[in-house]
Amino acid sequence: MSDDANKPDYLWDRSGDDPEVAGLEQLLGGYAHQAPLREPPPRRSRRNAVVLASVVVLAAAAILAFVMLRKPAPHGTQLAFGPDAGPSKGFAFAVTGGAAMCDGNQAHDGSKGVLRVGGWLETEPGAVADVQIADIGDVKLKSSSRLRLVETGPDQHRLELQRGKLSARVTAPPRLFVIDTPVAAAVDLGCAYDMEVDEGGRTHVRVTSGAVSLEGHGRTSWIPYGHEATADGGRGPGTPVRSDAPVAFRDAVARFDAGEGAGGWSVSPLANIVGDAGERDAVTLWNLLTRTEGADREAVFRRLDEVAIRPEWVLEDDVLAAQPQALESWRESLEGTWIVGP
Amino acid sequence: MHAFTVLAAVATALEVGAAVTHRRPVESRDATVAELVIAVQGGSRIAFTGLYERFHRVVHAVVLARVHAGDAGDVVQDVFADVWVKLPDLREPAAFPGWILAMARNRATDFVRRRRPISDDTADLAVAPPPTVEAAAALRAIRTLPETYRETLIMRLVEGLSGPEIAERTGMTPDSVRVHLHRGIKLLRERLGGGEP
Repeated sequence: MSDDANKPDYLWDRSGDDPEVAGLEQLLGGYAHQAPLREPPPRRSRRNAVVLASVVVLAAAAILAFVMLRKPAPHGTQLAFGPDAGPSKGFAFAVTGGAAMCDGNQAHDGSKGVLRVGGWLETEPGAVADVQIADIGDVKLKSSSRLRLVETGPDQHRLELQRGKLSARVTAPPRLFVIDTPVAAAVDLGCAYDMEVDEGGRTHVRVTSGAVSLEGHGRTSWIPYGHEATADGGRGPGTPVRSDAPVAFRDAVARFDAGEGAGGWSVSPLANIVGDAGERDAVTLWNLLTRTEGADREAVFRRLDEVAIRPEWVLEDDVLAAQPQALESWRESLEGTWIVGP
Repeated sequence: MHAFTVLAAVATALEVGAAVTHRRPVESRDATVAELVIAVQGGSRIAFTGLYERFHRVVHAVVLARVHAGDAGDVVQDVFADVWVKLPDLREPAAFPGWILAMARNRATDFVRRRRPISDDTADLAVAPPPTVEAAAALRAIRTLPETYRETLIMRLVEGLSGPEIAERTGMTPDSVRVHLHRGIKLLRERLGGGEP
């Protein structure tokens, strides 16, 4: 190694001579990037954001007070969120099976409306609301659930599920559609999925097509078709498992996510996971590479290397160092076998 | 508090340096990436220019591995616009190299999905000054390589970075970069029809 390292190597550091590489440099050098930096867009400071938010809230409150004092809406006749409610952006919805509330107004069974930016839609027991997400898909908001439209635009459509259940089906470029919950954000990577948020904010995502990136607390779980994961407020997104995984395997993953590990390797949940993981558990193992360190990560790597094909350009040292490019390359090479949903 | 004061002074010095040198960030060349990141998080545009000077070539390489040459420059600027806006959310300044390259990959992938596919043979000639047909063919050959080799070879052969510079600016280990370069050039020779026996 040291002899090789000391040899002249033009490709590595331009020491020595390699006419072929030098010729390629000359041939391709015209593509080199030389443009100066353009002026970056304005960055909104936190203080400005707070001031702006305060102004918006006060303005909204004033408008709301004005509308309520001047023209109280007769119950069940004129919905403030209806098609004639104004030109502001929003998503159309239809309610069936019961009633729903949209920003304090009741939407009866069979009625339609528009969920405006900043508005809340809340289904009563038994009711379901079909929400059209611009031209990229739809969300079916299940019974006893509460959903807010955070923003909608060419760069992102963003909802917040405060509690309850929904099913989302989206066909769009990755990261265009996001659903926030109290503890995480589900970033759509082109997919369909079911989501449930309990009263404590605990969030469960089950992917039925494509893939979702569940993000929060500085942690990301990559969840492809046929897998699911749970996020909670204390730890962020948990490790994904396949939806048909045996109970013992799921239990081991849950115990690992809960931080169990004391008592040595032989009784640790990670030992159970590594010991029981098969070819169909490669997603779980891949996600564990960034949740483990040292000998634990090496054990995960060994098992993943046994059950999944590793491209030759994904080097063991880089994986053991959790080098993002290596991990992404490995994931991308396996993605075709993981995302096989309808 | 002391560290913050020092960094604030660094940022101020960078701004002053820019003013007297017509926005040429000479001082920023001595700062570490983490120092630059922290200064940019605090709003220093000169430190941001310093980050651009260090990373625009690797970002361009990542983008050029996926996007036509004529469009790659605009995507690079979009990436840095994102960096300026989103950098305050980066918690670990030392993670910046991996963070910005991941952002570049996402931006480039999104661009390709929304625009024309990479297989258009003439699009790599739509840059000024126009490259030769041979250069466009060589670039296309590199794009047929596995992703990691592709990016590393473009950093070396197009952007003119040395192996140690690539390692420093991508967060990869020097050994990995060396392996990628040598395996990549071997595959490229085969693609170009000059493979070794």
